[in-house]
Amino acid sequence: MTQGTDAVELRGIGKSFPGVIANHDVDLTIRPGTVHALIGENGAGKSTLMKILYGVQRPDEGTIRINGEDVVLKSPTDAIEHGIGMVFQHFMLADNLTVLENLVLGAEKLHGIGDDARAEISRISDRFGFGLKPDELVEKLGVADRQRLEIAKVLYRGAKIIILDEPTAVLVPQEVDSLFANLRELRDAGNSILFISHKLDEVLAIADDITVMRRGTTVGSADPKTATKRQLAELMVGSELPSPETGESTVTDTVELTLSDVTLTDEFGRNLLSDISLSIRRGEVLGIAGVEGNGQSELVEMIMGMRIPSSGHITLGSEDVTHWHTRRLREAGIGYIPEDRQRHGLLLDAPLWENRMLGHQTEAPNAKGPWINRAGARKDTQRIMTEYDVRAPSIDTPSRALSGGNQQKLIVGREMSGDPSLLIASHPTRGVDVGAQAAIWDQIKKARRAGLAVLLVSADLDELIGLSDTIQVILRGRFVGTFEPSSVTPQDLGAAMTGGEAA
Amino acid sequence: MKGLNLRSIGLSLLAPVIAIVVSVLVTSLVIAAVGSSPGDFWSAMFSNPLPRLRVNIVNQTAIIYIAAVAAAIGFRMNLFNIGLEGQYTLASYAAAAFAGGAYLSGFANVLVSILIAIAVGAAWAGIAGVLKTTRGVSEVISTIMLNSIAIFLVGYLLNRYGVHEGNSVHTTRLADGSTLTGFTPYLPRDGQIWALSVLAVIVGIGFWVLLNKTHFGFDLRASGMSSTAAVASGINPNRMIITAMMLSGGVAGLIWLPALFGGATSYGTSFQSGLGFLGISVALLGRNRPLGMLFGAVLFAFLNSQSNTLTFSTDISPSIVQITEGVAVLAVVVAFEVVRRWRARLEQRVVGREHAVATEVTA
Repeated sequence: MTQGTDAVELRGIGKSFPGVIANHDVDLTIRPGTVHALIGENGAGKSTLMKILYGVQRPDEGTIRINGEDVVLKSPTDAIEHGIGMVFQHFMLADNLTVLENLVLGAEKLHGIGDDARAEISRISDRFGFGLKPDELVEKLGVADRQRLEIAKVLYRGAKIIILDEPTAVLVPQEVDSLFANLRELRDAGNSILFISHKLDEVLAIADDITVMRRGTTVGSADPKTATKRQLAELMVGSELPSPETGESTVTDTVELTLSDVTLTDEFGRNLLSDISLSIRRGEVLGIAGVEGNGQSELVEMIMGMRIPSSGHITLGSEDVTHWHTRRLREAGIGYIPEDRQRHGLLLDAPLWENRMLGHQTEAPNAKGPWINRAGARKDTQRIMTEYDVRAPSIDTPSRALSGGNQQKLIVGREMSGDPSLLIASHPTRGVDVGAQAAIWDQIKKARRAGLAVLLVSADLDELIGLSDTIQVILRGRFVGTFEPSSVTPQDLGAAMTGGEAA
Repeated sequence: MKGLNLRSIGLSLLAPVIAIVVSVLVTSLVIAAVGSSPGDFWSAMFSNPLPRLRVNIVNQTAIIYIAAVAAAIGFRMNLFNIGLEGQYTLASYAAAAFAGGAYLSGFANVLVSILIAIAVGAAWAGIAGVLKTTRGVSEVISTIMLNSIAIFLVGYLLNRYGVHEGNSVHTTRLADGSTLTGFTPYLPRDGQIWALSVLAVIVGIGFWVLLNKTHFGFDLRASGMSSTAAVASGINPNRMIITAMMLSGGVAGLIWLPALFGGATSYGTSFQSGLGFLGISVALLGRNRPLGMLFGAVLFAFLNSQSNTLTFSTDISPSIVQITEGVAVLAVVVAFEVVRRWRARLEQRVVGREHAVATEVTA
């Protein structure tokens, strides 16, 4: 099918950051004049790969070929010179300038800022059906128009290879359809498009080729003409991992956490979560399954008091905690393993013993009244390192220097300290090595036996089925199904997660 | 481990040393470029200061240091209180007006004036904090504007309620019982070290204790290191912003009090402006660390005082010192960032190596 050379050819790309291996052995080939979808869960390494292709990050190893020519991309400017353009998820537009001004900003050399530029914009806009009005102020534009403007920007700069980072995340369904119409026009005009997403319906609708990433590497490709959502979901979450089986039920009758008809709205009044009800008893693990971005993060942040529900009630033990903030909830005995450990769980430049205090800086053994108990915190860090097998040179090492698995074991150890009654675990084993994964599973099982109530959010269906006593599926901010882990298969869950047509 | 410690101490000294060398070089080049002798300049600058200047250096160090700590409180949580200038201007005026009014006598007057200065500084800074948390206004913008407002406000109040004397106007002078006798190390004509310079010591120690020994200080540092992790750890970001802003403003309120009670005796022409911006520079130079800022304050006080001798012994303008100071701040910021990136790259290489080893083993 391909004539001539591939538009983009990535071979053996690897990139590590302290504490994280973001990419390794990544291979990706984009044929000219196609829409190529790159799919994978958050944290699978898609963003890093895009940044490498756009010259924002430089790979530690591997080669990049553009149109058959080996290139080194040192900056986005290099990438643009090679005809690569990127549209970020967060638009980079100046609201108080016009469409024309935004387009020429930084690219004045190409067609000037006058009539030539205007003619070029009209040409692009007419050709691909963007409907841009050069003199309109950007602040008056809706989200879909802004996105078209961003795409026009990269075309204006001469891009033939266009990277779109989750372009549909901000759009409503009708807008998605018209975006896809634009993309098809672009493709038919010979442009190559790299489309990043984790919405499988959309990927199947638009893509000519699909590449799947998991745990920092490309794990396979699929043909959208024959692949099903189920197969893609399986490729994305994988199933070759050690088994997290829990064995006998330890569920008690004491309810620890209850949510009744809780709704959460964003600042525009849209529902992020609608009428969520759940209860977790002591000794019970409640698993939440769902495709990324369907309200899991918001659910966790709401229970942790970082977002306050707009209606409904949350009860912890026997107290109404609906309006409590995070610190009070933590002091009341909630342990929290955040989904993004580097952003939410650690102070990367602080030593391990200060990281031991994070989130527990007002509690023993880290504090006495308003004072920090340095000796107590240091000693307890030592204990966590031994008990949870955190491998680091010393408690004074900055947490940035640890591997992902060791960072996560420190967080698990910290959150299990001080006998929590409820543990909120968001993707507790994401991005950690298999050894640390098994250790973390053991800790969760042990805590469950000791009567801990656990809310487990995970993208790893085997982990969910293995550890949970009950599984709830979340879709577009609603619970859409309850499953018994003993009888459910990843396929059933996958179907429910994507809207249930293939059950 | 020991070697590593030595190396990391070496690394942290590297940046300030580079900065000072660069600023000396740039200053020398500028002096040479305008046709004067850099040699004369440096020998005048590093001549043994006269007793009068030594006293002045100590006094200036004290007030610059208070200003630096005020700035650092905000900086440690990435809150840029550029409004120290307005906060201490307003606070100094309020304290001077109250103390001059002699509602209380002696020591009580001094004490209550100090509290008033703290309260006014904190309140003025608090406005920027509230604007940021409720309306999302950047504190940089609002504090800059509040600086202007404060300066005009004080000008108006002074004009309206102050004592007019010839062409100048000032607040009512302090009663004799309300000035504080300082320490006179040399002859009386060389002046005295202000009694309230001790505030600098208290503020410095207080800042260190707050930062390293209390969980509030931990919250402050955590907010500066990672705002996302701070929120997840239970720190209420809005409350933190307002508290840190008010604390910073409260300390700023103290900046000029040593001078007020040490000899100025009223707010008027003797008021020393510009200390707020100087404090910001010194906080940057000292990396917001209590000891680092002490060195910065001594350096700036020394350079400023010594620059007075330039007028007598050379043809170089004393303003040239501001170039030295400016370049030092700029160079220290750049040098620290360079050293930090260099260290991060070292770390990354180590991790990369470990990964390579690990994959070989599993392969």
